[in-house]
Amino acid sequence: MIEEARYFETELAVIGSGIAGCAASIFALNKKITTAQVGNTGAVAYTTGYLDLLGKLEGDKGAIDNPWDAITALKDRCPDHPLNGISAADIRAAFNEFTAFLGECGIAYSSPGDSNITALSPAGTLKKTLCVPATMAAGPKAFAAKTACVIVDFKGLKGFSGKQVVANLHKQWPTLKAERIVFPEMLSGEIYPEVMARALEVEKTREALAESIKAVAGNAKVIGLPAVLGMHNPDFIKTELERLTGFEIFEIPTMPPSVPGIRLRELFEQVFPEKGIILIPQQKVSSLTFDDDSATLSLTDNHGPITIKAKAVILATGRFLSGGLEAHITGINESLLNLPVTQPAKRDDWYFEQYTDSRGHAIHKAGIEIDDSFRPIGEDGRPYHERLFAAGIILAHQDWIRSRSGAGIAIATAYKAVEAVDNFLHA
Amino acid sequence: MSDQKTTTLNFKELAMELLPEGASFEACLTCGLCSSGCPASGLENMDPRKFIRMALLGMDEELSTTPWIWCCTQCKRCQHVCPMNIDISQLVFIARGNWPQEKKPSGIVRSCELIRSTDSTSAMGLPPEDFIFVVDDVLKEVRETQTGFEKLEAPMDKPGTHFFVNQNSREPMSEPDEMVPLWKIFDMVGADWTYSSKGWAAENFCMFSGDDDAWYKVIKTRVDAVNKLGCKVWLNTECGHSYYTMWNGIHKFNMDVNFKLESLVTYYAQWIREGKLPVNSDWNVNNIKFTVQDPCMIVRKAYGDSIADDMRFVVKKLVGEENFIDMQPNRSANYCCGGGGGFLQAGMTDHRRAYGKRKFDQIAATKAAYVLTPCHNCHSQMEDIGHFYGGDYGVVHFWTLICLSLGILGENERTYLGPDLLALLD
Ligand SMILES: Cc1cc2nc3c(=O)[nH]c(=O)nc-3n(C[C@H](O)[C@H](O)[C@H](O)COP(=O)(O)OP(=O)(O)OC[C@H]3O[C@@H](n4cnc5c(N)ncnc54)[C@H](O)[C@@H]3O)c2cc1C
Ligand code: SF4
Ligand code: SF4
Ligand code: SF4
Repeated sequence: MIEEARYFETELAVIGSGIAGCAASIFALNKKITTAQVGNTGAVAYTTGYLDLLGKLEGDKGAIDNPWDAITALKDRCPDHPLNGISAADIRAAFNEFTAFLGECGIAYSSPGDSNITALSPAGTLKKTLCVPATMAAGPKAFAAKTACVIVDFKGLKGFSGKQVVANLHKQWPTLKAERIVFPEMLSGEIYPEVMARALEVEKTREALAESIKAVAGNAKVIGLPAVLGMHNPDFIKTELERLTGFEIFEIPTMPPSVPGIRLRELFEQVFPEKGIILIPQQKVSSLTFDDDSATLSLTDNHGPITIKAKAVILATGRFLSGGLEAHITGINESLLNLPVTQPAKRDDWYFEQYTDSRGHAIHKAGIEIDDSFRPIGEDGRPYHERLFAAGIILAHQDWIRSRSGAGIAIATAYKAVEAVDNFLHA
Repeated sequence: MSDQKTTTLNFKELAMELLPEGASFEACLTCGLCSSGCPASGLENMDPRKFIRMALLGMDEELSTTPWIWCCTQCKRCQHVCPMNIDISQLVFIARGNWPQEKKPSGIVRSCELIRSTDSTSAMGLPPEDFIFVVDDVLKEVRETQTGFEKLEAPMDKPGTHFFVNQNSREPMSEPDEMVPLWKIFDMVGADWTYSSKGWAAENFCMFSGDDDAWYKVIKTRVDAVNKLGCKVWLNTECGHSYYTMWNGIHKFNMDVNFKLESLVTYYAQWIREGKLPVNSDWNVNNIKFTVQDPCMIVRKAYGDSIADDMRFVVKKLVGEENFIDMQPNRSANYCCGGGGGFLQAGMTDHRRAYGKRKFDQIAATKAAYVLTPCHNCHSQMEDIGHFYGGDYGVVHFWTLICLSLGILGENERTYLGPDLLALLD
């Protein structure tokens, strides 16, 4: 059959559509760098919606109230941590730019503050994070003020239980209660937050839900709901539901697959092409080669082969879950260019015996090395190529899960990588 | 009912053979994104994640017999949202093929049989000579009754033309006047085109019955017809699955063809860009709102977002940028309407409508008065769920609105216009 291969030329190609890849595209867009982005959405769809910078210091028991102070401490504790090379001002600027973009595109976020926010987890435990979606902001406030509140959950919804939230919080928040209701027109079977969120984009569903909420609200002033307040216009849906019920309302994230992550993914997929980014979603780059004046990415989507030529490339392919790193019997390797991976000397050292060992597992710090300009280091100890940069959790020397710093590492390193690309392209 | 037993398949083994490395079922994280985003979840107590888990656990007998496979429209949305790119629609296809013919939904089987009953490949069994007659008859009438179209053409079996144009059977069979707007569009842009008396039909339900052999034969008839006439482009009409079954079939069966496969939508966009179709939205004085349905068969499963973007370009030109409201989610992430995969033919009405509730909510959220879609199946399903769930939107073809905008929509070509649009034409 006669087929046409598709060909694109850009200044920057971003490989990976996790938070790091998407953040890199946003920063590049703001710098007017023409960009193509390829990649499966990876972990974005799993996030709670909270953007963590630093919630814990390795080895410490308690959570971090002030992440900016803690970053200073990080320099002693984990000298090679990728956040160490980045100034607090840059990190703040990166978060500001990222959240401002989300806000302009329809999901309002709080700006990075001087201290962490104490936010509610799906189970009703507390966690420290830097920025929260506006739909969730009233929760931490109500918790701090101990306002009379009802957590409403739904028959058939798994992964979120009002009773559990109350059980975990009632000591600190005595006026907290839980109620279970039926979601409009979803009387039986398992129901998914995603489906509820989409149904709430319809006015009639909102009106029906508002009535059911009012019926169980009692003397509450604030209502907590699982995160289901619409998919692509959550701030509007929240305002509407507040108008219809007369109560202040906030969302609590649910267990994955959860709405806040899907919201982000759909926002990026919707907005990036509108803003001129060439987005090739849900595909993986199969080869990346360099010559003197450009890099060439090859991939195939449903419709056939695609070639992208770019002046610079940011590798943001994540770790094992997303396929940026691969674990083999012989060791861990980087999957696209076979870049050297800093890793434990032998497989036996990957994990401590106990999965819950408080020291964390060495494998969770494996990753690639970069120089000061965010260029990955090759076999010979020098930058692999002047056109190659890297960002996100593929970088070595950090355990983002234990330090509650997933989005922080992704956003801050993407910011610096794009800055380096800009310098390189426009020097 | 026959007492033929359904063979039990080994799904795990089949998956191993089918799926490329890195997309195997064993990579499944059990995260549930697929099920959360699949409108067939919960029907027959099944969902895509469960299907995969059961395959890995070797629950082959249950999977070999579950009627859920006829509720999965093979829309591949699950794969689109899966971080590991796992595609369960391929297993559903195999499971369908494995059902004894007598147990398969008779509507799908019957449609496939009819397709193969004549050289037309028409699912309504319309033979070549009847197709020739209807086209001729309608053409004569238009020439006689519509000013400006005295020389309108609808070429049949004309060799060497640029375009080979296919045609859904529904029009010649039950609403022949609906063929005319497209002829007028071709006339206006000066397209070099032909119909064919063989292999002309657009629909292809053989793929949905899971019958590889029948699917191949239908495609073969169509490929031969194009090759025989020596056309350069097989131009697919406003229909989703006819494109997909042809395009995917040619790849799957490694067929040798020396023409291109294209979709009408891309040409609408091109002709508008080139100024050959001078459409505009001046007629929409009351700012009537429109949304658009992305057929998964041409968007997510084939072209990707490029054709979806073409569709939006065309719609905005036709109705005015401010009068277009996108459904959410859209383009490659769009929900299947629930009419595809043979669902409309399968007779499982309650299930099909439950599936379609997602689509209904999407449309309702836009508050649009009309949905435009270049797909016959989508069209029928959205009309049906609209009536069923009490929606008050209409569904229109692109060709209707293009001709409306150009002021050349004949009186018999207005079936899908509601009073608000009809009022503008008087
Ligand atoms: C369940 C879960 C919950 C989380 N919750 C939170 C939270 O509440 N707060 C928070 O701050 N962080 C959270 N995170 C972490 C956050 O999502 C990650 O820190 C962040 O996504 C890491 O970003 P990344 O872009 O570097 O990597 P990833 O998200 O892993 O993305 C890597 C991307 O690269 C792509 N890729 C890989 N190989 C290729 C290739 N060859 N070609 C093209 N693309 C490729 C993948 O498809 C993927 O899109 C959570 C993560 C998970 C898994
Ligand atoms: S989305 Fe993919 S990884 Fe997640 S449960 Fe479904 S198939 Fe498994
Ligand atoms: S192909 Fe479509 S209908 Fe079938 S399981 Fe996947 S998402 Fe559901
Ligand atoms: S009917 Fe339309 S939406 Fe449904 S499967 Fe076919 S093309 Fe997709």
